[in-house]
Amino acid sequence: MFQRSSLMIAIAALAMFVPVCAGAQEYPIKPITLIIPWPAGGSTDLTMRAIAESASKVLGQPIAIDNKAGGSGTVGPATMAASAKPDGYTIAQLPMGVFRLPLMQEVPWDPSKDFTYIIHLSGYTFGVTTSAEGPFKTWQDVVDYAKANPGKVTYATPGVGTSPHVGMEQIAMLAGIKLTAVPFKGGAETNAAVLGQHTMLQADATGWRPLVDAGKLRLLMVWTASRSPNFPDAPTLKELGYPVVYDSPFGIAGPKGMDPKIVAKLHDAFKKALDDPAVVATLSKYDMVPNYKNSEDYKKFVVEVTESERKVIDALGLGKKN
Amino acid sequence: MDTLVNVAHGFGVALAPINLLYCFIGVFIGTLVGVLPGIGPISAMSLLLPVTLSGTPESGIIMMAGIYYGSMYGGSTTSILVNIPGEAASVVTCIDGHQMAKQGRAGPALGIAAFGSFIAGTFSLVALMLVAPKLASVAIVFGPAEYFSLMALGLVVLTFLTQGSMAKALLMACIGVVLGLIGLDSITAQPRLTFGRIELMDGIGLVPVVMGLFGVAEVLLNTEQAIKRDIINAKITRLLPNKEDWKASAGPVGRGTILGFFLGILPGGGAVVASFASYALEKRLSATPERFGHGAIEGVAGPEAANNAAAGGAFIPLMTLGIPPNVVMALLLGAFVVHGLQPGPLMITQNPGLFWGIVASMYIGNLMLLVLNLPMIGMWVQLLKLPYNILFPLIILFTIIGVYCSGNNVFDVYVMIAFGIIGYFMRKLGYEPAPLVLAFVLGPMLENNLRKSLILSQGDLGTFVTRPISAVCLALALVLLIGPLLPTLRRKRELVALDEGA
Amino acid sequence: MSGDSNVKVRLDNSELWSGLIGLGLGIFVIRSGLKLKLGTIHDPGPGFVLFYTGILICAFAATIMVAAITEGGPTFGSRWKDTRWAKPVIVIACLTGFAIALDPLGFLLAAIPLTLLLMRLIDPVRWSLAVPISILVPVGMWWLLKQALGIQLPSGMFGIG
Repeated sequence: MFQRSSLMIAIAALAMFVPVCAGAQEYPIKPITLIIPWPAGGSTDLTMRAIAESASKVLGQPIAIDNKAGGSGTVGPATMAASAKPDGYTIAQLPMGVFRLPLMQEVPWDPSKDFTYIIHLSGYTFGVTTSAEGPFKTWQDVVDYAKANPGKVTYATPGVGTSPHVGMEQIAMLAGIKLTAVPFKGGAETNAAVLGQHTMLQADATGWRPLVDAGKLRLLMVWTASRSPNFPDAPTLKELGYPVVYDSPFGIAGPKGMDPKIVAKLHDAFKKALDDPAVVATLSKYDMVPNYKNSEDYKKFVVEVTESERKVIDALGLGKKN
Repeated sequence: MDTLVNVAHGFGVALAPINLLYCFIGVFIGTLVGVLPGIGPISAMSLLLPVTLSGTPESGIIMMAGIYYGSMYGGSTTSILVNIPGEAASVVTCIDGHQMAKQGRAGPALGIAAFGSFIAGTFSLVALMLVAPKLASVAIVFGPAEYFSLMALGLVVLTFLTQGSMAKALLMACIGVVLGLIGLDSITAQPRLTFGRIELMDGIGLVPVVMGLFGVAEVLLNTEQAIKRDIINAKITRLLPNKEDWKASAGPVGRGTILGFFLGILPGGGAVVASFASYALEKRLSATPERFGHGAIEGVAGPEAANNAAAGGAFIPLMTLGIPPNVVMALLLGAFVVHGLQPGPLMITQNPGLFWGIVASMYIGNLMLLVLNLPMIGMWVQLLKLPYNILFPLIILFTIIGVYCSGNNVFDVYVMIAFGIIGYFMRKLGYEPAPLVLAFVLGPMLENNLRKSLILSQGDLGTFVTRPISAVCLALALVLLIGPLLPTLRRKRELVALDEGA
Repeated sequence: MSGDSNVKVRLDNSELWSGLIGLGLGIFVIRSGLKLKLGTIHDPGPGFVLFYTGILICAFAATIMVAAITEGGPTFGSRWKDTRWAKPVIVIACLTGFAIALDPLGFLLAAIPLTLLLMRLIDPVRWSLAVPISILVPVGMWWLLKQALGIQLPSGMFGIG
């Protein structure tokens, strides 16, 4: 008995030393987690999965997607900033809400300090939809109804302070109507809400596309500068008489204090992914235009965008009250 | 007729040798990760996703789906053997399943879980084929108000899960809700009850809570017993359910299947609610409800059937609307997308081979699982023959590993140990953990939907009673809550009287 | 009536104390809810549900305490009667030690002693069995997870594992 067990101990001891040697390998040596702060099935989720898949081929390690939805897409990045190690194995998609929410209320993160910005990727195309079985045929119908019934028109947004929420409030202000925003966690949920007519409208990014294609949802408008080739019938905000354009740019970041070498590696992998034909095809399916910025430019962009958002938020009266 | 042609076409796809192989690999891995507590289908599927990319979309998705329903089979094993639920949906299986094991009936318990799962899985597939497109609407008629009421009903259901006092069960449920709300608020992203600890921003994980309250607490309770050296008091009699077991289980399996299938369609905690609801239903219908909690086979058969049927139902919103009802379905959606496919209303018509092929492969996979699992029952039961003084350190070791793997986080291990100690004292003082776990799962959804429905209705509480589905749920909850209140009080008084007489 | 196992207003009535703990928890939850802001009924804030759940906790805890006083309840002593209460305490102590050691020492260096201690301290397993099991099982699991599933258990400051 004794001899056998000591043999086992020897084997075990031997086994322990093998990975110590393996530890000297270069980053990445294990799967990387990419936090997507939206529920699965929305436009961000679908396109980010395609991008991550392509980037993982470059990195040589799988990228596991972690859908951590809530708080207008900020719960995921905020948790990462607070608790993940800056070792490059946990990164997150960073939507506009991360910069906008701190302007509106107390939050536990500071966008200027708590993140290491890796790469800026793309932006959304937003649109407003309604159920095909509902009474609204055009945006004018909505405006007329809302004028007669202030506050009765409800719309599903992917959360408080997200671009669809702030954009919709701005449009309502310009149109002189009052709408009620209902915060969901992301595209998959807003789709279900407007399909089931729980809310009258949905303001969200292009995750609604398959449902619009199938004729289940009616697209009332898009928020891009010119009409989308995918939906030539939907008018832009400018055509409807509102001089605004909304696209909410997004990128990828890690917790603060990441090694620049790791940042560069991730940046290069995701940059390559943006050029991958499969990724380009997926992005165009959801009307997303690649909008590449490197790590340095991304950081500068964050400062600029925070300033411009502050003006919009203050104009709408949504700013932080002290 | 159309359906038959489609089914035939589907089997054509599923029976291709390469797809059969992928299906087998999928269910095999699924069984493995299902048995290991803490390591769920999610981690296995996300790691294997890249592997599936080399083949056709059919093969890849068949394998991924196999991991999912395979893990549903395996999940009950540790619940029955050592009282550690592998996932939230098998928490109820612990209640009677582990009692059966203690009485030497681990074989029949595992057997009925496997057969019940098979029957429920097969039924839900037939239903998936016949009515999937029509049922798509079920997933969307549930708005925030309906969800709130359904969750409220779910919480009331838990009063049936306990033998002890209702006040204690409800207290546990409320504490469960509070624990579930720890972390960043789902609407405003403000930290709640985090005590400034960054680890708590993400909330407490379900796996550490469950493993602590069930696994570790059970070990602590067992170690203080001087007499009981083995898990099993009685001799192991049979390996498979006998005729009587079948007779008792037929009804629960049938009802559990239907309940599970419909609740599985709903995004959110479908499978969990279904398993708890099935248990409560069987206890209510039973002529001898006092047997529940002491090894009633109905309490294993019903919930196990329900959670497997729910796994089938969950495919409906994904395949027909592109809305994944749970995290696993979300991963499957990811698999579709990287293959360049978009699940949605048009998928069944545009890609019939894919849809019917996947459904047909699930029939085959279910059959493989039954064949794979039945012989393993004997092996699992042998495990129980290990003396407890050897078994329990291993149980602790496995819970630690499971908890760590569920989140790759040392903090989760601390949480588990803390809940193990809390769970021990709770059990000693007559508080049961099952209501807490159920409320922990449902609480965040309850809160989020309550707030959304109040925003929608502009503060009008009437919204919950004027919407028909919501009204039905609340009415049911009320009946359940008030109905047994009087008899419980009476029984309790009788018990007290008896104590004093003795 | 013996009066030992079922008492009414006495300090060792376990029901009374568990109710009291519940009450304290409820009050804490209510306070946290208030601090987080209740919002309005049109737009409930982050503390809304916490506040009302806290009230419910207090209500149920009060029910339990009332029942404990009017109907009586088992004493702490009777709950732990005929049990080896020291054994769970040992297990808890071992687990706490493990929790403290896990981060600095890593999984293997913490788990092997834990398994060995648990095997020897509760119902002693003979050394010739306890030693190999407590080494082989942790090492085996660690190896399986690392090689087959790509999951890295904590390796600690010495980088073992």
